Amino acid sequence: MGLKEIYQWDRRMAEKLRRFQLPQSYQTVGLAIAIIAFVGLIARKFMTTEPDWIRSLCLNLILVGLLTISLSKEKVEDEYIAMLRSRSYQFAFIMGVLYVLIQPYVTYAVEYLFNPEEAEVQMSYFQAIAFMLMVQLLFFKVFLKKCS
Amino acid sequence: MKNTVKVQRVILDLTQEELAEKIGVSRQTISSIEKGRYVPSTVLALKLSKLFNKPIHEFFSLEEED
Repeated sequence: MGLKEIYQWDRRMAEKLRRFQLPQSYQTVGLAIAIIAFVGLIARKFMTTEPDWIRSLCLNLILVGLLTISLSKEKVEDEYIAMLRSRSYQFAFIMGVLYVLIQPYVTYAVEYLFNPEEAEVQMSYFQAIAFMLMVQLLFFKVFLKKCS
Repeated sequence: MKNTVKVQRVILDLTQEELAEKIGVSRQTISSIEKGRYVPSTVLALKLSKLFNKPIHEFFSLEEED
């Protein structure tokens, strides 16, 4: 396989990935997954004993739910909706980077006020990814609403 | 870029929803084009031209800053 064929294959795969979208019905599926996982996260607070992996599973399922909604089509998909979606991903990426840079220090400052000994600069992958997904969904819905 | 898509649509007595359906786009797209918020692609402009039965330059025109 020559270099040219490899480039062409790469381009085809990138195009397929860019166009990948789930059917519109998956918006409901994603929402259901996220809500069930969130309820599970709350419910574990009332359990006397529970394995450690349940919290991790619930957090990951919330991310899966949000991602599923993000990848789902709207009722009508056209070039304008695709542009709005692309713009919302741009915003989410930029705000996500800013959030990861700034938020740990804000948390540290707040924690320091209440408990100086235990305050530390930290950021979990869940916070970063959940923030980006929520910002993307929010901006996309706002953009859609603005042109209705 | 400015356009008279709304005028052409009204001439054909179509709602935004009906026009959107005829050319296979969302109602939001038609609304945004009419308000000048979105410049459609060549393909979409040609579809509008075919539906209105008018050349593109009769309902799309450049503004000074373009």
